[in-house]
This record gives sequence, C-alpha cells and structure tokens, in this order.
Amino acid sequence: MSSYFTRAKDDLAYNERVFVEGRGHFVDDIIKPGALHMSIVRSPYARAKILSIKGGMSSKDLGARMASVGEGAMEGKNSVIQPVFATGYVNYVGEAVAAVFADDRYKSEDLLDSVEVEYEPVKPVVSIEDALSSPPIHQGLKSNIISEGWRGKEFPDPASPIVLEDVFMNRRIATNPIEPRGIVADYDGKVLSVWISTQSVHSIKEGLCEALGLGPDAVRVMQADTGGAFGSKGGLYPEYVIASFAAMKYRRPVKWIETRMEHLSSTSHGRGAKGIVKIFAERSGKITGLKGEVIVDAGAYGAGMGEFASRFIATMMTGPYMIENAHVKSTSVLTNKVTLGPYRGAGRPEASFFIERMVDKLADELKVDPVDLRILNSSESKFRSPLGMEIDAAKPFLDQAVKELDYRRKAKSTHNIGFSFFVLVPAFAPGETARVKVDGGKVSVWLGGNSHGQAHEVFVRKLVNEELGVPENLITLYRGDTGMLKDGVGSWGSRSAMVGGAAVISACRKMKEEVITKFGKYSVQSLLSGAFDVYVNEEQKGSLNSFGANLATVDIGKLGSVKVRECAAYYDVGRALNMDMVIGQIQGGMAQGIGQTLHEEMAFNEDGQLLTASISDAGVPLAEDIPNFEVKVAQNPSRLPHGAKGLGESPTIGVPTALARAIEKASGKRIRETPIRPEHIL
Amino acid sequence: MENVKIRSRVNGKDIESEVEPRKLLVHYIREDLGLTGTHVGCDTSNCGACTVLVDGKAVKSCTMLAVQANGREITTIEGLSRQGKLHPIQEAFLEKHGLQCGYCTSGMIMTSFWLLRKNRNPTEEEIRKNLSGNLCRCTGYQSIVDSITYASKLMKADETEKEGIMVEQ
Repeated sequence: MSSYFTRAKDDLAYNERVFVEGRGHFVDDIIKPGALHMSIVRSPYARAKILSIKGGMSSKDLGARMASVGEGAMEGKNSVIQPVFATGYVNYVGEAVAAVFADDRYKSEDLLDSVEVEYEPVKPVVSIEDALSSPPIHQGLKSNIISEGWRGKEFPDPASPIVLEDVFMNRRIATNPIEPRGIVADYDGKVLSVWISTQSVHSIKEGLCEALGLGPDAVRVMQADTGGAFGSKGGLYPEYVIASFAAMKYRRPVKWIETRMEHLSSTSHGRGAKGIVKIFAERSGKITGLKGEVIVDAGAYGAGMGEFASRFIATMMTGPYMIENAHVKSTSVLTNKVTLGPYRGAGRPEASFFIERMVDKLADELKVDPVDLRILNSSESKFRSPLGMEIDAAKPFLDQAVKELDYRRKAKSTHNIGFSFFVLVPAFAPGETARVKVDGGKVSVWLGGNSHGQAHEVFVRKLVNEELGVPENLITLYRGDTGMLKDGVGSWGSRSAMVGGAAVISACRKMKEEVITKFGKYSVQSLLSGAFDVYVNEEQKGSLNSFGANLATVDIGKLGSVKVRECAAYYDVGRALNMDMVIGQIQGGMAQGIGQTLHEEMAFNEDGQLLTASISDAGVPLAEDIPNFEVKVAQNPSRLPHGAKGLGESPTIGVPTALARAIEKASGKRIRETPIRPEHIL
Repeated sequence: MENVKIRSRVNGKDIESEVEPRKLLVHYIREDLGLTGTHVGCDTSNCGACTVLVDGKAVKSCTMLAVQANGREITTIEGLSRQGKLHPIQEAFLEKHGLQCGYCTSGMIMTSFWLLRKNRNPTEEEIRKNLSGNLCRCTGYQSIVDSITYASKLMKADETEKEGIMVEQ
C-alpha cells in the first residue's frame, strides 16, 4: 500500500512524467493511517429556516465564519460573510448544514442519513431581477445590493446621431476541473498540517488562521498535485475549516473529497453577469461615449469575487478602444445560489462580451465591416480609459492581427465569420514571492503561486538557468508549502510566469550578489559548492497589457446545432518562456471559450434548484465538440526583466465574442447571451 | 453484508481480497490495492478518469463493483510500463504534451490503449469520437489527439523493429 510519507522527497516536486505513469500525488491519493473520512449534510432547499438539527457536527459546535482570502478578496460586512455551517437559515442548495465522520467514505456517507434536519422552506430569490425587487435575503441588510458604485464620470449625452442600447447576459457556469476539491487535515497538538488541492497554499493558510483563530505558526498548508482549478481553488471553503476543526477536535487525520455533485452545487460558479450598454457614435463609426450598468449575481454571501466582480467588469467596459467618455454603474446582488467566484478570466470575458457585442451591433447599424470599426476606434498611442484602465497603443497590434488571422481574405469567402479584439489586464499587482535555495549542489525553488497544470516548473528551470547558469536538471520547483515559503499570493489572473517569474529572477540576482560577496566573483561552481537561501517578495505596481484577437467561422445545422468550423487566435504573450506550454494554455483556454459560448451553464429553476447537476449537464465540452485550433503569437516583451506577459485568460476572453459574432452572422439573429442555445438562433 | 472473497489478476499479479459487496471497483483499486493512478472525477460515469482495462477492454471502474472483477484480469495505468520503460502511449503523451494537470491522463491513456488495440491507425475524427467518454478540462483535446496519433506511429515502429529482430533470429 502506498503512503504519502514513504515516498522520496523529490516526489514533492512538480513532475509531468509521474502523471503518465499514474504516480501523481493528488490529495485523494494521500492515505493516512487512522484517518476519518468526512461527509457533509447539505441543504436541499435554496432558502429555508432551520428548525432543528439532530446529530452530526453543526453550527452549535463550530460557530465560525468564513474568511475572505484569495482572488477578489474583500473586507466584508459581517451580515454577508458566509458562516462555516449554515446558521439559522440555509441560503442555497448545497450549503453545508452538518458534517459526519467515519472510518471510510462508505461509512461516512451512510452516516449522512443519521442526521435529521427540519426545515421550513421560504420562497427563494433566484434571479438578478428578483434580487432587486425582493426584501434582503439576510437580516440586518437594507436590500440585496451588496456593492454598488460608478466608474468614470457622468457626462451629457453626446450630440452623436447614432445611439444604440442593448442588454447582455453571461449565465453562470461551473469551473469543473476534472479533479474536484479535497483536503486532508492532521493535528499533532501543536501544528495543524493541511494537504490540499489549491491555487495558493498561502490564501488557504491565511483563511484557516482567521476562521479558526489560530496563529501563523500553528498552521502549515501543503499543496498536493492539483488537478485543474480555473479559479475555483484559490480561496477558502467551509469544508476546509470543518475538516481542520475536526482534525483538531478528534486528534485524527480527517479527509474530505468533494463529489462532482457537490462541486456543481457548492463550489463557487463563475460569470453570472448582466450588462446594459448604451453607446453613442458618429456616422463615421467613431464611438463618442458609453453608458452602462453591470449587475452581478453574487450568490448568497459576499466579501469575495461576487462583490468585487461588478466593479471590475465596469472598469473594463470600454475594452481596448479609445472612447473618450464613459460612465458605468456596478451593482452586485445577493441571490439564493452558491457564491460567485472567479472562473478563468474572472470579469474580463464578461466586459469584453458586452463591448464587443455593441461594436458588432454598431457595424450592422452603419453597414460597415466590424473590423474596420474596431481599427477606427483603436488608438495609435497609449492612453488611460475614462473608466481607469491603462491601455497601450492598440492599433499597431490590431493591424497586425488582421493580417495574421487572414481576416480580409476569409471575410470575402465566408459570410459566417466573427472577429474579436481585446486587452487582457492580468493580475500584476501586488507581485509575488519566491525562495531559491542552493544546497548539496542542487537548486530548490518555491513560489508563492502554485501550479495546477500550467507547468510552472518549466519556466522556473529556464529562468534559474538563464540567471545563474545552473543546468536545468539540477533545478527543482517544489509544490506550494507554507512551511518552506513564509508568504505569497497565488496562481490566478494570468500572473504566474509574469510576476512569479520576475520574483524568481530577483531571487537569483540577489543570490548572485551573495556569491560574489563570498567568493569575489561569480561562477556556477562556487554557487553550487556553497549553501545559499534567498527569499524575495518582488512587488509590482501598476498594470500590464496583453492584446489579443480571435477569428471564428461556423456552420449552423437545421436544428440549430453549431459546428465550429474554424477557431483561430493571435495573442501577444510577451516573451514566450516555453512555446509548447504557451500553445497548450491557449488551446485549453479556447476550448473553455467554446464551452461557455455553446454548451455550459449552471441553470436553476424558480425554486432555486440546480437543474444541471452532472458534469455532462453542466456542459463540459467533449473532444468531438472542439475543432483543431490555429494559434499564432506575437512576442512583444513586457517591461519585466524576462519580458513575460499574462496569457492564461486570453482565450476565454476572445473566443466567446468571435464565436458569438460568427453565429450571429450565420443565423441572422442578434446574440445577447451565453450559452447560445438553438432557440436563440432558429 | 458480509465481505466477499474475490480473486483477480491485477497488472499481471494474482490477487485475492475480501471486499464489501457494495464497493466500487475504482475504490477497491485505489484504496485496497493502493493503485492511486486510477482517479475519480465525476461519480456519474461521464468523465472517464477512472478508466481501466478489464479483460483487455476499457471500462469505467466507477461503474463496476469490485466483486464483478472476480476471475477477471485488470490492467491499470501502473501496469502499462514494463521494467521502468514507458509504454509508447505514455511516451507519446509526454512528448506531445497530452496533459496539463495530469488528472484525466490515466483514463485518457487507458482509453487510447483500447482504441489503438482496435484500430491501429485511427483518423483524427475516430480519435475524437472514441474520446467521447473521457473529459479533459485543461488541454482543449488537441494535444491529446496529437499524442494518440503519435503513439500509433511509435507502436507501428516498435512492431517493425520487433519483426526485424524476429527475422534476424
């Protein structure tokens, strides 16, 4: 029988080869003697008063509240922060009500039946419209609005002859990594040790310390191999707090592994945003102003991405275009659904969908080529958008993209064609941490943000080799471990190769200076003969841009089925640190872009019941649904020492908009939402 | 219910176990035998992360009970390489980057093994159709299709080499 602790130290390294041999170390592969398996009693109602709970561990045993950590974390009002266990009321289907523990997963699932919960159902608030017109779902609030604000300055309507307005929707979708969430927690009387599938061991640690009132020395969080995440594994969830609390209470290791049904009902969803957009334009096609509103369906609790997302989307509503006036309202509302979280792009695809759909609509109104309209509204020089985005000169990239994607020729031969243009602003600030250690002739590296499939080890080996001259086979990147690196941010927002890479370079340069101080001059031999240990927190301020464009062509069948004939990308990735990895990220993201556009939705009925409760119903695309992609990249280096830019989210921004336009052309029906269903185009 | 004795051949070894009659084959493989390369991804037999070979055929091990494996031959991802040498399909997945997070990979490789046994020279369309029971969320499938195409070439080259050796002998 395999045991996590009997494996060699090197097994804590990221290593692609282990996966083809079935020797990965995912969290469910960690087998600890004497472990308890945890199962969660979840709410069957979207909204109900809890009258009584008999059996199991529940809010009477653990009255803690969640902590807001990770991507999009916000300081929240106490009344909207999720309790670890539902307290008094349940507010979404799948909310944790009680927990049971047994020697194995079969027995703990049996025990679920032993917990009796009496509910008094209440009419739930399901849609954004319901939320705006209904009394607040939580006591102590004035309304269901949990965040509200404006971006840009109010301006009088321009005297432009063209005024267009429309309403768009990106429906909720599940992130659906093939590995669900999971945790193993163990307590030795002093330190709570946690192994977890995550994008950031540091946010998990911060969250557990805050929720359980533990000091930083009392918690160590270690990353298991992480089988995809796409935004959903960056923050804290109730199950992590419960499993940790139980490990401390029972003094036995506790394992919890999410089922797919639990993933769909209880792991945060992405998208879920409505956009109301009005644009003003001259007959020439020049857009003179944009007014709008973004409303985000935040789900049942706040203090995270749901609260933050509306403001973030509003900031990006003018896209890469030079539009002088813009004023956008942002609102996030509470509904009786699982909380909204980041999903690959996390606000960027929504903003892009709203502006790109309007630009296409304007092109139809003026009967001009939509790409010409995009060129006309792009700037030759960098500028600050009225909503607060710093945008580099967009037109030179766009001109090149039109050529690289062969748009002019294809638009002549194909009617059903869509072209999109966007700027990805990755999560640049506040930078990232790295630790580089030399000992025994080998280089070990830890990064603040942790890989969940992006092969961070590939760029780390390359950069350390470039900086220090050490052969790549002597360089190892280890999985995230708060015991080995004191703090860090996380892997999200297209940031790792960019800011994590910059941190690795900074640590290497510091180490080089130490070698020079010690030996008088630098050589690989002197470095490897010594013992060095450098930690850096490489801070980043301001922002970076990655431009991108997509082209799509489609055919539509008699029953409204869409066949993606062609899906191409041209993205500025900065300096590509490894072209195979760059292409892999782009292809994978493009498939997710097709998924959102054609297949994926987390749908609820009027009772707040989840209608899409299997991974198939949720619409994760099959190999047959996806074409071969044509991917081209521009390598315009960023201002960072290694020239890298963000790229992981580019495809989920650019593909839905290009595809929506191609479908609009093919069907003759205005496309206003994703996913696009046959009834929208027949 | 009382435990039941089962005998099966797993990765070439005869194994006798006592299992709960309700235990799924995938949990028997992972937890009783410690072969954690076979994964659970969806619980509804959609994702294929749990694919193994039962008597040579690709089967989703979450859809079978361990007791149904009695008297049968099971091959898991751990049984594919021989004396530390990767199977050509494993080599191909590495070479063509047919994986990112690595979670669906075992199932993808086992399904590919079955596909290439039935059809040594599959077209891209046939490959995509045969992968309809295996989900990947990271790669967009293109590199997986490339891996399988490349594996079919490697396997053909292997056979040619073996035939060559036999002729020489």
